[in-house]
Amino acid sequence: MLALCNFRPTRFLLLAYLLFAIGSLSSCKVQLVPSFNAILAQDIVATAKKIDNFYLSMHEVPVNKRQYQLFTNGYVLLEADLNSLLNQNKVRPLNKESTRISEIAVTLWIKYKTEHKTDDTLSDGLIKLNRKTLSDLLYAMQVAEDAKNIPNP
Amino acid sequence: MPNNFDLQDTLDQMLDSTKLAAGTAAKEAKKVAANFLKNRKERLALLAELRLSGDLPGDKFTSRLNDEKLLLEAELNALAVFTKSSAQATAQNVLNIFQSAVLSALPASLKK
Repeated sequence: MLALCNFRPTRFLLLAYLLFAIGSLSSCKVQLVPSFNAILAQDIVATAKKIDNFYLSMHEVPVNKRQYQLFTNGYVLLEADLNSLLNQNKVRPLNKESTRISEIAVTLWIKYKTEHKTDDTLSDGLIKLNRKTLSDLLYAMQVAEDAKNIPNP
Repeated sequence: MPNNFDLQDTLDQMLDSTKLAAGTAAKEAKKVAANFLKNRKERLALLAELRLSGDLPGDKFTSRLNDEKLLLEAELNALAVFTKSSAQATAQNVLNIFQSAVLSALPASLKK
């Protein structure tokens, strides 16, 4: 009872901090981001290359022959690749930033696919814009993964 | 405290390491941010060009501007990983310096 009467929050906080600091030092492993995943990094580069190839090939087709139906297969395959990147990011702990970047990539991919499907064509300008947008997004994803590989100074 | 353990010297080493790492990380982050900025500039130029050429009607233009917000969010997330990872590497290095200083000062009987 006496001990309860002497309880001081500041002392408790100090003790908690000391225990935390000792615990941190004894485990000696600081982990704020997940470890670098070389396979995922390669997958990001490969997906970026496939998307680039998809839009460059589409650009070679005359505008009046760019019906959605002709590109369905490419859209579906690349959506699966982007979903795979999302899932690979999602399952790793401490990885909410990379997961969010992947979610944005999937969202925009589906949006641009739906636009193509609705209009049943895509102008040269829109191909350029979609290609650039997705390339920049995949670059951000790549930066986020490569950043996990920063060595100790 | 054992004579061969110099706390001040260890703290100085830890501080130097932090300063060095912070400087390097800041330079790298600046490079990445500059690339993001360059990409943004190119996209905005393209957006303006498509709006002016009539490729992007008003509603689609607005919709693409909203996509820009998502892209900014993605880029900020990438920079956040960069910052966290640099902090992680620095903190780990500082702890290693401390641990190694303490370990080297330990008498042989306590090193087990």
